[in-house]
Amino acid sequence: MKNLKSIIQYECMTSFKYIWIFYAIQYAIVGLITITIGLIMGTFEDVGTNCLEINTLIYVCVLGVLGFNEDFKMLIQNGFTRKYIYIATIAMFCFISGIMALVDTVVGNMMHLINNNYSSLYGALYGYDNLFMNWLWLFLFYVAFCSLLYLIVLVINRVGKNISIYLGVVFGGVILLIIALFRYVFSAELVRDIVEFLMQAMGFMTDGTINYIFPALTLFVIVAILGIGSYAVIRRTELK
Amino acid sequence: MKAIQIKNVTKQYKDVIALDNVSFSFEYGKIYGFLGRNGAGKSTLINIIANRIFADSGEVLIDDIPAKENMKIHDKIFCMSEADLYDTNLKIKDLFKWTDRFYDDFDKEKAMKIANKFNLNINKKFKALSKGYQSIFKLTVALSLNVPYVIYDEPVLGLDANHRELFYDLLLKDYENSERTIIIATHLIEEVANIIEEVVLIDKGKVLLQNNVNSLLETGFSVSGLAHEVDAYCADKNVIGYDELSNLKIAYVLDEKTPLPKTANLSLSAMNLQKLFVKLTEKGDQ
Repeated sequence: MKNLKSIIQYECMTSFKYIWIFYAIQYAIVGLITITIGLIMGTFEDVGTNCLEINTLIYVCVLGVLGFNEDFKMLIQNGFTRKYIYIATIAMFCFISGIMALVDTVVGNMMHLINNNYSSLYGALYGYDNLFMNWLWLFLFYVAFCSLLYLIVLVINRVGKNISIYLGVVFGGVILLIIALFRYVFSAELVRDIVEFLMQAMGFMTDGTINYIFPALTLFVIVAILGIGSYAVIRRTELK
Repeated sequence: MKAIQIKNVTKQYKDVIALDNVSFSFEYGKIYGFLGRNGAGKSTLINIIANRIFADSGEVLIDDIPAKENMKIHDKIFCMSEADLYDTNLKIKDLFKWTDRFYDDFDKEKAMKIANKFNLNINKKFKALSKGYQSIFKLTVALSLNVPYVIYDEPVLGLDANHRELFYDLLLKDYENSERTIIIATHLIEEVANIIEEVVLIDKGKVLLQNNVNSLLETGFSVSGLAHEVDAYCADKNVIGYDELSNLKIAYVLDEKTPLPKTANLSLSAMNLQKLFVKLTEKGDQ
């Protein structure tokens, strides 16, 4: 257990310091743009931004990529098994996503409170009533994207560049096929049922109410699927 | 059994067989030279032992424990790699700190002392070090880990002569102080010839030879003279190679020495490890 603790500590502590650099840069840029546009326009009334969580999303996607590229080599050098590396990486994703979701929840709600024109990502979708569900949703949302990028990088590493390109083409083709199915093959009733199901999965009920648990559950299932997929790939991953 | 046992290990990359049903052991408490030409399969086998890549078939046991994906061997073996696998953005002192946390048997104080002997700047980031100092960092970690099996893969890559001498000196002192198995994979055969006790020679994915260095040097010799006399003397011997010039011939033999015929004008010479290595691997080419 000491080994597992040390590897989790390594993953979390070496990623932690970059969070504050990210936020410092983000808010400095937002502040600079706001002041510049405000001074040029002569008023600050219509100056502003929304959904700063998207920036965090990009950051956690980068984290998902680096989660494999950098750390896998370092940890395999230090004799850790792929199972331990996987556990530590997922722990790091959860740790970083948890902190960033907390910061974004607090900042998003405060900014909305100060300036009603600002909308956070979660607030725009579900409102500002439930802070805990706001944090939980963002947390799972970020972990899902970390896990997705982690899985993609693992697959690219496993199958190589050429097959990855073919897989990308096939994936694009599948998307187009799904769109075509919805537009030309599926009946209007079936399309409505699918959209309704997806809306409910994200908490938007047919009677117009919002269920806060469903989106969290949906994201949890997505995270679990991506996590199982990542583990299936990493357990056969070799150092290149 | 206290040993690294390699059992019927095979590894293939597309149409190249990197390791072909390799079986042998690195016994506990010896210094091994793991020798082979470029592409012979040394790094592939080291990577399989260190669980970095997987064998297609066969297995590796460390003290009878399967090495594949097994944390039970974490504190038994350490492999210093030729490749740079460390986090290049971390400072050397931080890399020491993390190694100390990862391994129960890492002596951080010893690492600091060794770093000092090599003038390694521990406040520099790994990526800011020269190739030679990156190697020094890696071997400092390996020298400071008190695990039963330590593998050095090209340990003196980029090191100047003074640092190489210092490394070999530290390695031997370390071995004297605490018994363990040290495996040195290198091309610089003559440099390690005086250190190693056992040799494992690998070529084209197969083990050509595993023997004690002293007995190898005792049985390895060259015989030179007129070609027909050399051929006659070597008729029933294990000849691993020839050099020929006009009607003169040198035969390199790995066998028991027998008295030279009194009528023949032949001379015997000792064969060093490097010559033995070259001739054995040349034989593989033919």
